[in-house]
Amino acid sequence: MKALSSIYTWADERLGLDDLLHFAQKKRVPEHAHSAWYYWGGISLFFFLVQAITGVLLLIYYRPGPDAFESTRQITYEIHFGWLIRSAHSWAANLMIAAIFVHMFSVFFMKAYRKPREFGWWSGMVLLLVTMVFGFSGYLLPMNELAFFATKVGLDIPNSLPVIGHKIATLVRGGPEVNEFTVQRFFALHVVVLPALFIPLLGFHLWLVQKHGNAVPPAEEAKPPAQRKSIPFFPNFMMKDLAMWLIALNVLALLASMFPWDLGAPADSLKPAPTGIHPEWYFMSSFQVLKLFGQWFPGAAGEALGMILFTLGLVMWFLIPLYDPSGKSGQRARWATYFGLFALSILLVTTIWAYAALN
Amino acid sequence: MNYPFWNVPHIGSGWVIGLIAIFHVMISHFAVGGGLYLPLAERKALREGRQEWLDIIRGHSKFFLVLTGVFGAVSGVGIWFAIGLTNPEATSTLIHNFVFGWAIEWVFFMVELSTAAVYYYTWNRVSAELHLKIGWLYAVASLFTLVIINGILTFMLTPGDAWLAVAGTGHEASRFWQAFFNPTYWPSLFLRMAVCTSLAGIWALVTCSRIDGTQKPKLKTGLVRWSAKWLVPSFVAMPLLLGWYLWQVPESQRALLSFGMTTIGTGAFTQVTRTVLIIVMTSATIVGVVYFFAWRSPTEFSFSHALAVLLLGLVATASGEYSREMLRKPFVIGRHMFSNGVRERDMARFNAEGYLTHSPWITTNAPALARGEIMFRGECMACHTTDGYRPMKRLLAGRDREAIGNLLGMLHDYKPDSPYHAFMPPLVGTKEEIAALGDYLATLSQPAVAPDTAPAKPALARR
Amino acid sequence: MSKTVSQSPGQESPPDTDVATRRAFVWAALGAAGVCYAGAIGYPVYRYLASPVERAEAESAVTEVTLKDAQKLPLGSVLMFKFGPRPSMLIHHQDGSWVALSAVCTHLGCTVQYQPARNVIHCACHGGEYDPVTGKNISGPPPRPLTRYVAKVTDTGVVVSRT
Repeated sequence: MKALSSIYTWADERLGLDDLLHFAQKKRVPEHAHSAWYYWGGISLFFFLVQAITGVLLLIYYRPGPDAFESTRQITYEIHFGWLIRSAHSWAANLMIAAIFVHMFSVFFMKAYRKPREFGWWSGMVLLLVTMVFGFSGYLLPMNELAFFATKVGLDIPNSLPVIGHKIATLVRGGPEVNEFTVQRFFALHVVVLPALFIPLLGFHLWLVQKHGNAVPPAEEAKPPAQRKSIPFFPNFMMKDLAMWLIALNVLALLASMFPWDLGAPADSLKPAPTGIHPEWYFMSSFQVLKLFGQWFPGAAGEALGMILFTLGLVMWFLIPLYDPSGKSGQRARWATYFGLFALSILLVTTIWAYAALN
Repeated sequence: MNYPFWNVPHIGSGWVIGLIAIFHVMISHFAVGGGLYLPLAERKALREGRQEWLDIIRGHSKFFLVLTGVFGAVSGVGIWFAIGLTNPEATSTLIHNFVFGWAIEWVFFMVELSTAAVYYYTWNRVSAELHLKIGWLYAVASLFTLVIINGILTFMLTPGDAWLAVAGTGHEASRFWQAFFNPTYWPSLFLRMAVCTSLAGIWALVTCSRIDGTQKPKLKTGLVRWSAKWLVPSFVAMPLLLGWYLWQVPESQRALLSFGMTTIGTGAFTQVTRTVLIIVMTSATIVGVVYFFAWRSPTEFSFSHALAVLLLGLVATASGEYSREMLRKPFVIGRHMFSNGVRERDMARFNAEGYLTHSPWITTNAPALARGEIMFRGECMACHTTDGYRPMKRLLAGRDREAIGNLLGMLHDYKPDSPYHAFMPPLVGTKEEIAALGDYLATLSQPAVAPDTAPAKPALARR
Repeated sequence: MSKTVSQSPGQESPPDTDVATRRAFVWAALGAAGVCYAGAIGYPVYRYLASPVERAEAESAVTEVTLKDAQKLPLGSVLMFKFGPRPSMLIHHQDGSWVALSAVCTHLGCTVQYQPARNVIHCACHGGEYDPVTGKNISGPPPRPLTRYVAKVTDTGVVVSRT
């Protein structure tokens, strides 16, 4: 114990740890009926860390290009615990996106995007989009049958854009068909380009949270300051955050070890697509919207219209801090809540619809 | 095949029991542990004159009455419906053997439900001493429901030699007590009682989390910490009890734990081993989470924290029940009846006369493929489905008719050194029946276009 | 741990040494749990990273193996050898023919063994069986035949090579 404290003093004199500690103790986190939602950003962050670690581990054996499937097969069946690392990476990817969705909607309904937190909302939205591209590019990397056809179907979305759509799709694919070139460029995107975008953005996002502190929902704001409660960030909130991380780790371990990710058959462009092929769940909503518009309006026009509508909705969602009228007054803006509920129900209904349509 | 087969697509009929049972265990163990928690908390509050505690305990007893009396009771009956449909042969054996056991169980069950209601409705209406006595009566009655049902549950894993000696003679019920106090009875009872105290603490934390920590910090601190302590004894005793339990499990079943580690070189433990590791991990996490959430900062302990602990408890309980079921493989009643309802002593007869021959559920001139499908339903679908849980489509993927025939032949031979001997029942029936089954399975396996490029070990990680 | 935590009036505050012991106990317990977690995560990661070290590196680099003095192998017996990292077997059949096969079961990768008495190749893991002449899977779970190599007998030994 003595030795530990002398090491601490030594480090403190050089790094100013005490200042940091005092700062963390002084920082307070509001505590109220809805404060459970504060953990979801942290949970998303935890899964991102898991992704980074397991991703680097997979990088050690994975070979993009023509060897993609074979190297994934080796990881899954020959390398010790390779199946576990791969499962953890796949599961954590899905859990990360799910956690970000929860985080986003809780921020939305708690109106945490209002002044001065607009940049937090925007950076968060970009982080979500980058994460979805992470998911899309990562899904192809094992180059199994499912990944192959899901990517094929997924790239039909840009393909449906008028005039430039076809060009974009071929450029992304690196050819008219999904092949080893596609894997190679998706790999570059997945392990170099996207992390290079994601990490600085994440830093910005976290810096904003630290700068402005946790937002409180309008219901809490309405209370007189004396009735509002808060707890110190350190150690109280951090302990709870860590406990949440521990729970997240448990859930991940359970899923990854009990429901290991299947490898499936190698991709073969000559084979007919297996029945019920579909993109990952977080793309199912947009997939279904495109399909519906394609059915309602014949020809390429329908899909293009669906795409435009979807993009418009996304832009509206993105710009909510600018036109939510309650931004200054701090009152409840009911219609923004209704818009949020509307968006959430559209997302849920189309996703369920898409899955029901598969059978 | 005396009974028709209940076909539940995708999840298989076993999971119907599983889902109801896991839900039921979460509540029934709370009913037993909570039976102890309520009078002990009430006694402590009375002795130390904590009026505020009594109000909370009263609220807790209402929640307790609704949860155990409605959801616990309904799901408990649901289990018996489900097992009767899923495995009628085994259920019939249990009833023939334990009909009086169940009668006793129902007596305690009625007392339990009545006293739970009386306990709640007599708050402040009878004297404190009498009310406390009702609480103790409830505690004893609910404990005895566990004491009784535990005998029947453990019997299925380890019926014991005395009962097995008379199995099939028609005098099984004469070994009632030997079957009841079977080798795993005591370790299982103590293990379950430990789980009961933990769950009582966890559910009490759910109630305590609703107390306003700013208004009544002292009340909340006291109750949260007192409830958190309920987790301590079981987590200290758990490793010992688990060890005792596994020690009483027959060697042949225990081998299922290490089986995967010795045959698969890639570090993929068997399902059951992984599940046991999950139990250990979640149990440790529960202690950590309760320590950080509840003990360290009791006034800030919120409802969602309590739900998180409850979720972990659910994972640990579900894993426990799942691995207990898995440990019994390939039997549904240890060394007597296989998972698919075939009795060990009937093997030779079925092989000679045919599995489908005496079934009233099939016409003798049914086409071969239909007979194959019925064979599949009768002998395989207790554990497998075509496309959902343990799906044949994936497990047999890439195998042609001949490879399937080889595998079936091996299951039929059921040699003691066959590794499937450890966890799969023998395939019984005549040559024609097995051929029909093979033909049917071949329609499921859909031989891959290029079998050479198919992954070499499709089933490895999932066993 | 029998102390009640409530601060009811009249209750003595616990002596300092008791608090210190409890604190030490909690830290020890947390430390032990932390070590368990580190082990549970560290062990798979270590094995994962060490995999190629464990299996001989030169996978597939070997295309030919010369087995010295193997031509003296008696009839009806088997010689186990390593073809690169792969366990393999050279069988000298009763009829004088030579067969070289991979000894890695196509089911889950256990090492198979030749049983001269029954003239089959048997896998002890899941009971798979192969024909010792062609390597074809004849019984049990294996989905595919064993890989066959070419065996050439010379004066000094047997040369096994990939087909």
